[in-house]
Amino acid sequence: MMKILVCIDDTDNLESRGTGDLATELAEELEKRGWGRSRFVTRHQLLVHPDVPYTSHNSSMCFEADIDSCFLQPLIDYAGEYLERESASGSDPGLCVTVLERLAEPEAMVAFGRSAKEVVLNKQMAYDLAAKLGVHLSEHGGTGQGVVGALAGVGLRMSGNDGRMKGWLNICTDNGLARVGEILAQSSLHGVRTMDGEVLGHEEVIAIADKPKAVLVDGGTYLMVSPVDNADGVRWRTTPRQQLKRF
Amino acid sequence: MWQSNKRGERAFRHGQEAFSLAAAQARTCHKFCPDVEDEWVTDEERSCYNCLLRRWTVTSFLCMATI
Repeated sequence: MMKILVCIDDTDNLESRGTGDLATELAEELEKRGWGRSRFVTRHQLLVHPDVPYTSHNSSMCFEADIDSCFLQPLIDYAGEYLERESASGSDPGLCVTVLERLAEPEAMVAFGRSAKEVVLNKQMAYDLAAKLGVHLSEHGGTGQGVVGALAGVGLRMSGNDGRMKGWLNICTDNGLARVGEILAQSSLHGVRTMDGEVLGHEEVIAIADKPKAVLVDGGTYLMVSPVDNADGVRWRTTPRQQLKRF
Repeated sequence: MWQSNKRGERAFRHGQEAFSLAAAQARTCHKFCPDVEDEWVTDEERSCYNCLLRRWTVTSFLCMATI
């Protein structure tokens, strides 16, 4: 088995399904075909700049999977055809598939991802780095500009400190409250963590807002919480989305 | 609330963290259409910041709805 990261970018327009839905379908199809096991999809925010073409937000979607090496090329072929078939009119889809144990310079990949949040990168830069590192990178329609975000998304997921999990956590609560231990038992999260980096113990009680999001921090998936002054003695609540922008 | 840019597009004048104003604006907008949940940036669903028809800029967003 080999561990891979698959990232897609620039597949949508204002009327179409989001890139996250396509990433989810790819991850599910991989399992349906018996090629391996896939994990959660993460969303990675890239630079918003007048010189960067994007639909409305410029984000890419990435997932990790364990597959048998014999299914690597079939997966790449399928994903490329899938993007050509399912991407929206006017989009510029890109696909990146990275075999982690074959990656020559992981730090270069992470650096590219971080750069894509700060400066304008172009397709040639992305293709040059992908060729140097032995990473699959391909375009599947339009200008193919999505290769930049696809490569960057893999780098950001590898960093372990960027991105929000697609979807939200379904947590059963007692009147909107749940202990950390109960939250962890109902999810695949690594922990519940404050914005200051403190990982909370299992007995702490959290006020859970609607549709709570998990983020990727220090290589793990965490539900972020913020302090709250509450007469009921509840000390923590899930961090509002508007404070999760840095992820 | 809005100002027109050089291309005649409507730019939100209050930046990316005027959460109350963006929610109030969306409540009165007939074109509001929520973006996919993964692109929401505020817990209050009905907000211009969560609208499919907003296009983020460096400092704020453009409203792409034809009013």
